[in-house]
Amino acid sequence: MVKTNKLSENMYDLSNVLDFDALSSVRPGTSLLIAGPAMSGKEGLAMDVLKDGAEDGEGAVVVTTNDQAAAVIDEFQTDVPGMEDSQLGVVDCRGDGGDSQQNGSYIHHVNSPGDLTGIGIGITKALEGLHKSGRDKGRLALVSLSTMLTYTDKKTVFKLCHILSSRLDSAGYIGVFTIDSGAHDDQTLQVIKQAFDGLVEFREQDGTRQARVMGLSSQPSDWQEI
Amino acid sequence: MSESDRPVVLIVEDEPDVAETYKLWLRKDYEVRMAHDGDEGLELLDDSVDVVLLDRMMPGLSGDEVLERIRERDLGCRVSMVTAVEPDFDILEMGFDAYLSKPIRSEQLHETVENLLERSEYDSLLQNYYSQVEKQATLEASKSSAELEESEEYDELKSEINELKDELSESLGGIGDDADFIATLRGLSNGEDE
Repeated sequence: MVKTNKLSENMYDLSNVLDFDALSSVRPGTSLLIAGPAMSGKEGLAMDVLKDGAEDGEGAVVVTTNDQAAAVIDEFQTDVPGMEDSQLGVVDCRGDGGDSQQNGSYIHHVNSPGDLTGIGIGITKALEGLHKSGRDKGRLALVSLSTMLTYTDKKTVFKLCHILSSRLDSAGYIGVFTIDSGAHDDQTLQVIKQAFDGLVEFREQDGTRQARVMGLSSQPSDWQEI
Repeated sequence: MSESDRPVVLIVEDEPDVAETYKLWLRKDYEVRMAHDGDEGLELLDDSVDVVLLDRMMPGLSGDEVLERIRERDLGCRVSMVTAVEPDFDILEMGFDAYLSKPIRSEQLHETVENLLERSEYDSLLQNYYSQVEKQATLEASKSSAELEESEEYDELKSEINELKDELSESLGGIGDDADFIATLRGLSNGEDE
């Protein structure tokens, strides 16, 4: 597809992180679901997408149900040495403590992965912080929807994803959301997928890790070894 | 629009002149109910109320206390705080959906009420969208792709889903601001038993 130059400047290139044509020019406002079995590298990919953007000065927001905010910040500081602290915001949903800052990175604590209003407030504050420091491009990762699905039902998670995608769309950001495909029934996965613009799917086949991308171009990509 | 179809606005305000003024501005478009303090407000509240305009500083129950009880009762109404001081971000954390700072002009009052009604409309659109997506997923799980291609029901469902998606993206300016974003998320936690 031919795009004008002006438009392509605003596009997000994720192909450095995962080498697919369909990921080389992702429209601002796009939300992607990353699905795969446990330990298949979904969460690593989501973090790499954010780190790759941070290398270029983009903002990053991590919403985590699994990791300590401090651990996320350490990981970013190690992997993206040139990153400014103000580029990163973390919404820690594991439920321990109030707002805090660590070396200038914004941290918001939420009581539980089921507290959607709290998560929304955390994301809003993180986005506000990035906006104030002049980041008009940025990426958000939510890791993981599977944990959220143990706290609330699929209807609520679907709606959350839809609302959050709309918010990212107005901000011109992109979003990546992970889900463990082995942890839910097919109907749940099928419903959750519908809340997203595209899907990156992982699988193990013949002892290799493979991925494909769906929804971003007219045809799904073929499975590729990664 | 008939009397019964009109959205219901409940004004909880201890100053009679102020309450009358709001009523005068709103009565053409909405069914307006008035309460002179928090207790009376809670009495007049039921499922038919769409929007509550709640004065924060009142003798007896404060606006914050009334709000807390409204949320405990799990009513679907949207609540705007009316206050003399410009609040900061915290009003959203406190559970209000919007605020109006005094003195209020007619135009502002209308805008706020309309925005709150639009949020309720968004909630029901989103609920509808979810139901259709769930139906689609059930069909996809139970039929082969050849059967789906033949199915008129599936075809209709897909076009309905696309229409709803478009409507949602136009509603609330596509969740363009923080207050819409948070209030919509709050609606998810409150409205679990639809």
